[in-house]
Amino acid sequence: MSELRSQTLTLLAKDLRLEWRAKARLVAVGVFGLLSLVVFSIAVGPDSKALTAGAAGFLVIALLLSSTLALAESFRIEHERRALEGILLLPVRPGAVFYSKAIANTLSLAMLAPGLSLFGVVLYGVELQPANVVSFFTIWGLAAAGLSAPGTLYAAMTAQLRSRDVLLPLLLFPLVVPVLMASCKALALVLTGDPMGQMHSWALLLLCFDLIYWSLGGILFPFVIEEG
Amino acid sequence: MKVAADPSGTPSPAFSARDLSRRYGQKWALAHLDLTAPQGEVLLVAGPNGSGKTTLLRLLAGLLRPSVGELELFGRTLASDPFTWRRNVTLLSHASYLYEPLTALETVRLWARLLGRSTAEADLRARLAEVGLEHEADNFVSGFSAGMQKRLSFARVRLEDARLVLLDEPFAALDTAGQELVTEWIAVDRRAGKTVVIASHNLERAARIADRAVLLSRGQMTWQGAARDLPGVLAGLARVV
Amino acid sequence: MNRGIAPQRWPREHWVGLAAVGLVLTGSYIGLFVAPAERHMGEVQRIMYVHVPTAWNALLCFTCAFVAAIGSLWTGRERWDATLVASAEAGVVLNGLLLIQGSLWGRATWGVWWDWDVRLTTSLVLLLLFIGVLSLRSFATGSERRASLTAVAAIVAYVDVPLVYFCVRWWRSLHQIQSSPATVDPAMVLPLRLNAFGLMCAATWFIVRRARLELARRRSSETAIPDRIERIEVRHV
Repeated sequence: MSELRSQTLTLLAKDLRLEWRAKARLVAVGVFGLLSLVVFSIAVGPDSKALTAGAAGFLVIALLLSSTLALAESFRIEHERRALEGILLLPVRPGAVFYSKAIANTLSLAMLAPGLSLFGVVLYGVELQPANVVSFFTIWGLAAAGLSAPGTLYAAMTAQLRSRDVLLPLLLFPLVVPVLMASCKALALVLTGDPMGQMHSWALLLLCFDLIYWSLGGILFPFVIEEG
Repeated sequence: MKVAADPSGTPSPAFSARDLSRRYGQKWALAHLDLTAPQGEVLLVAGPNGSGKTTLLRLLAGLLRPSVGELELFGRTLASDPFTWRRNVTLLSHASYLYEPLTALETVRLWARLLGRSTAEADLRARLAEVGLEHEADNFVSGFSAGMQKRLSFARVRLEDARLVLLDEPFAALDTAGQELVTEWIAVDRRAGKTVVIASHNLERAARIADRAVLLSRGQMTWQGAARDLPGVLAGLARVV
Repeated sequence: MNRGIAPQRWPREHWVGLAAVGLVLTGSYIGLFVAPAERHMGEVQRIMYVHVPTAWNALLCFTCAFVAAIGSLWTGRERWDATLVASAEAGVVLNGLLLIQGSLWGRATWGVWWDWDVRLTTSLVLLLLFIGVLSLRSFATGSERRASLTAVAAIVAYVDVPLVYFCVRWWRSLHQIQSSPATVDPAMVLPLRLNAFGLMCAATWFIVRRARLELARRRSSETAIPDRIERIEVRHV
């Protein structure tokens, strides 16, 4: 257990360093997220009420679209010089590779939160009360974690296949439907008011999904990185 | 002493392959290989491109599973404990296994941490000095030439300090000084009781340091004998053809 | 015909296929002509005799795929892999039919083709998940790698189903109470049961045939291991 933890932390430091050195890419992913927010408002039209009502959903979809770009990239460098194979030969527990990658992906997606939410507030006319900021970012973080665990697993599975760019969203989107629903609902309650006090139960549900995906990913990951 | 002994007193072989065969899709890359290497031997695997050398090394490293046949490493199969298997081997591969956006020092630190070795900066720099990269410690791997990347990959092999050392084309891309260095490391490993398997096209150099040689051709072993006889055998073959 | 080849025995699973035809024909006949019309929904309700059995069997196929996926990862045997792909395909076909029937039903009773009802939404997501699994399989190369990728994707997809179900239930607070054979007229139960077993036989027949095909296809693409070649003589020169 402690071996898994120390290996995960070591690899996480490596993954974050690689992310940082490729920060231009992360910025591009963020800009892509912002662009999708603009596109949604164009598609819905100038009706500001409809935009406000759908704001939470648009933010989550922007996160989802950005995540497919970020996730697909995260395994590219591992296969470039077969660095991942070298890491596994050292030997390193496959679970450590999974958890470090998934945590690094969660953190990169969470970093999109301030930019996207600020843009959303301006563009969609929603109000983020100072009292709700913590809830907003907590839910965003939980949603990022819920996308990252299955996303990391599938990114590892598709990284060396033809048509991986099509396959990743094809596999990921239906899978994360529960995460999308729970986070849309919870964010909507944060943004438009929560008279019934339901937000916490949605956040809790989201947390449960996260726990299931993170455990399942850790169990199944060793099977997908072995070459056979 | 590195040589492990089983209860009867005779050391188990470093590896033993029985009818070892591996298929990629339609093609049999390796077939019917019966080969045993005692501990402490330096074994040269020779053969033309596509003869199955790399496949054999990847099977030994535990990266591939045999399609047919059996392979044991220090008396154990891969299925029984893949983790110990990988602890016992180190592989210098065709691919450099390097992260290009990291510096040489960061790369060695990553390996040392994962292997539980000392991560003191002086030690890490000493590791780099061993492979002749002391002046490149803070430069990014992306700017390294093929030879420098090879040297850095060797730092990993040295750091791992495994009982079975697998070297795929260890001399390729290296300058003469580098090749001398590798030759010396192999000699050091042999003295330490390690088993070294070399797959190489640089037969002249490799045959000088190896004890035994096997010749692969289209996935099958066509000859085995003392390494010093290999150049003669190949010359004989060339004359026949 | 060709005397060189031994005559092929009538495969046993064809009996199951014949049973399927018999059961579904009888069940449908009773459902359409013998069973009484339902009081509120009228004749439209008769689609239930095929709809409910389809739903049960689609889920059964996916469960079978899930079990086969675990078996495939655990043992690495290609039989499990062939069963997995066969049952996933059967499940996708049944699930596709299910959605079409559901749409027809919805149009006739609620006046809309689609409704974000719990079971409809869950089966749509389930269908998309397994279409994803099958397309992943079609892009993977190398038989072992393809088997493990398919198995992992199938396990993840199957585990996701209850999450989707409960999430949609929470999401849509209104939902229909599930109809079970205990609450309906006995004359309606018989065709339901006949069709359920009939479709199960049909699915079994399909899965067995498809798994055999998968194994045969793999056999035919395999090349035999080459014969041992002679060692060369050592010639000292």
